Amino acid sequence: MFTLDFVINAISLGSLYAIIALGLVIVYGILKLVNYAYGELIMIAGYMLFLLGSAGVSPWIILGITAVFTATLVSYLTELVAFRPVRTKSMTAILVTSFAVSTLLQNLVLLIVSPRSRAVPLPDLFAKSVNILGSDVSMRNILTIVISLALLGALSLLMKRTILGIALRAAAENFTMTRMLGVPANMVISVAFILSGFLAGVVALFWVGRSGSVMPTIGTAPLLIAFVACVIGGMNSLTGAVVGGYIYGIIFSLLSLFLPQSLLDYRDAFMFAIVILILLFKPEGLVKGGYVPERVG
Amino acid sequence: MLVLNKIHARYGAITALRGISLKVEEGELVALIGVNGAGKSTTLSTIAGVLKPVQGEIQFQGQSLVGKSPEQIIRLGIAMVPEGRDIFPSLTVEENLRLGAYTRNNRTEYKQDLDEMFELFPILGKRMNQPGGTLSGGEQQQLAIARALMSHPKLLMLDEPSLGLAPALVDQIFELVVNLHNRGVTILLVEQNVERTLDIADRAYLMRTGKIEDEGTPQHLRERVDIEGVYLGDHTPDKA
Amino acid sequence: MKTNQSISTFIKDHSTLFILIVPLLAAAIVTQFAGGLVFQRVITTLFINLILVLGLQVFMGNSGILSFSHIGFMGIGAYASVLFSMSPQAKMAALPELYPILQNVQLPFVMALLIGALIAALVGAVLGYPLMRLSDAAAVITMFGMLVIIHVVLVHWSEVTNGPRTLFGVDHLTTLWTAVIFGILAIVLAYWFRESSLGLKLRASRDDRYAAGSIGINIVIVRWMGFILSAFIAGFAGGLWAHFITSFSPSAFYLAETFTILAMLVVGGTGSVTGAVVGTVAVTLAREGLRALENGINSSGAVSIEVFGLTEVALSVFLILVLILRPGGIFGSHEIQWGKKQMLPVEENGNGIEQ
Repeated sequence: MFTLDFVINAISLGSLYAIIALGLVIVYGILKLVNYAYGELIMIAGYMLFLLGSAGVSPWIILGITAVFTATLVSYLTELVAFRPVRTKSMTAILVTSFAVSTLLQNLVLLIVSPRSRAVPLPDLFAKSVNILGSDVSMRNILTIVISLALLGALSLLMKRTILGIALRAAAENFTMTRMLGVPANMVISVAFILSGFLAGVVALFWVGRSGSVMPTIGTAPLLIAFVACVIGGMNSLTGAVVGGYIYGIIFSLLSLFLPQSLLDYRDAFMFAIVILILLFKPEGLVKGGYVPERVG
Repeated sequence: MLVLNKIHARYGAITALRGISLKVEEGELVALIGVNGAGKSTTLSTIAGVLKPVQGEIQFQGQSLVGKSPEQIIRLGIAMVPEGRDIFPSLTVEENLRLGAYTRNNRTEYKQDLDEMFELFPILGKRMNQPGGTLSGGEQQQLAIARALMSHPKLLMLDEPSLGLAPALVDQIFELVVNLHNRGVTILLVEQNVERTLDIADRAYLMRTGKIEDEGTPQHLRERVDIEGVYLGDHTPDKA
Repeated sequence: MKTNQSISTFIKDHSTLFILIVPLLAAAIVTQFAGGLVFQRVITTLFINLILVLGLQVFMGNSGILSFSHIGFMGIGAYASVLFSMSPQAKMAALPELYPILQNVQLPFVMALLIGALIAALVGAVLGYPLMRLSDAAAVITMFGMLVIIHVVLVHWSEVTNGPRTLFGVDHLTTLWTAVIFGILAIVLAYWFRESSLGLKLRASRDDRYAAGSIGINIVIVRWMGFILSAFIAGFAGGLWAHFITSFSPSAFYLAETFTILAMLVVGGTGSVTGAVVGTVAVTLAREGLRALENGINSSGAVSIEVFGLTEVALSVFLILVLILRPGGIFGSHEIQWGKKQMLPVEENGNGIEQ
């Protein structure tokens, strides 16, 4: 049962979920904004793959890079155009804005492309498998793990070694104080959105790599995953989000193995029930470190 | 150096400052004293650009501060150490200081400044790689002040540096402030500890419910304080 | 003399109600006599939307919490009311796997609506209670989570909902006037709640949690009450809608619809009943107009591709603009009133707090 293939698959899923969660938490940590439009960034990258694929662009690596770049750019632009002007307004206004942006992006794609699902070209590499220790392991899974770890490593370096990273971490703890030390608010926020978009783009490559197609609503599922993983790990910690992602991915893989389909259908409901329980009883998440959100009663 | 002229400031619908006028000359140690809620912290916040005044003027070395963001104001040479220190708990001591030097762009200068800070505050040197959150209250206060000094400020604003500290540490902090003053740093100090503050200040302003009630030398204000009982907390309702 | 005075004082004090209800009533009368079938449908939908948005306003407007789960309760009310209003034969056809107990129950329309609403309220009470303690980001995520949970259950509880498939064969029991009457009742209810001591306490807790707590307001209970009422109204609206549209599936109660009702409330002004009414009317009319445009473009063949989603694109852009320029909505937290100098209210930040 626990073949190498299964283990790699579970870790690969965990890695993917970790990156998904990270992309959401980067913006949340600094702005305390739950960006509902995050899922749509993934969707847009996916559609870029489709559009370029239909236009016959190759090799695939160009599609991949362009898709990631597009998600990054769109993320940056949504901040500039929609979020920045409402930054000083109430939390409710900001949240509704993010929801409106999400709806806008989804329907723009629906309008411009099509409401129906579309096939996406995948790199040949994804379909290959490698024989390790007697079992066939999918290249796609290996790539997911390798690239995720590389990204995590690079981000870690950014956060710890560069002044930008230090500023980002500081901004997540105390935004006003960071400004008082001279760090420009706009820059910090833009960088957070750029990183978030970049991560969303990479997620798209592997997410779409699993299903082979895109549709306008493809962003919802990763968004839900991001929510769950972040809450498990603790909303205010980057490491927490990553760990939360791995935990969720691995648990999900195990559940898929053992539970019947009828129960699996209820998976989302189940996970969110757990999310609610965590937020009620252990709001700082299951991973140590991180800040406790406000409770009233 | 710093001039406030009839500053009015609000938090939402609540008027916190009603026509504050004060000044700080270069090299001075000026104090703002008064009970809780008098508007002392609000005054500092307004100068630092965190709060926008609705009326009035603030001039620093000839430049108007009104409407400028906090990022711009620190670049003009005003550094603030807020109430409660506001150090970054998950960043190490060194990272906190590095951020303090954000507006300086000089590696060699940074290294020199760092050494200087560790001389002034030896305990910070020892704890250089520890997260700020693991430091004691007094150490955090030192870190906050050191961080502010890393930006080479022309004016240092301290908001209740002795708040919540044990008496021995309070001594330390006041000694430090005097030390800085003697080195030529211009200081605007907000404090509730009236006694000690009046010991070290060149001049002071007495604030109450958003207004300047009195100003002058420490001696003058001491007499005033004795009469008014400000030190013990005056609860006479404002007759405005 | 005395009765006249007290009536006129009553009208003046509660002028909001009259200012809102009278034009709506007039519009309904005009529709009844002069409107074609299409227009009648639009106006009926408008009144049902109104009830839904008013339910949202009751909780979200007074508590300041972004109530993401609202549409879920509409869904619960829709499915529950249908279970009790459909004839046994219709149920056999539409819900082949239905439990025997429910198979033979059939109740009059309004009773079915009430039961649907009560079930929604009950679910809201049970699921919602623990969430009332949370604020900020935690509240947002849990509300969203509740919507997801309700949606998943609706999609997979085939015995009762026919799963993700469409539920057919519901009787068309909601007429124009059914919607109008309940719509007006909803306005009165939302207004009453807002002005009641419960509503005041809720608003106090929204404006300043700590101050409210310090004067003895039990924030959790107060929020909970508001939430239950809100779920009840949503469930009722769901029942009305189900019997208007006569066939539906769980996908009608998820994110797209959530967006629509949020847009209606935010555009008009979250904090007031006037806002809910004005926003609903404005957005419903805008949507119908845009839909007509969409259909016109599609059927005229003017553009070679089919135009879907134009309505939502326009609406979301509009909503973003409102949030940037006037986050308090058109009416903010102030009810429209007779006699008072009714100028457009002070700029608000979207949470009822003036800037």
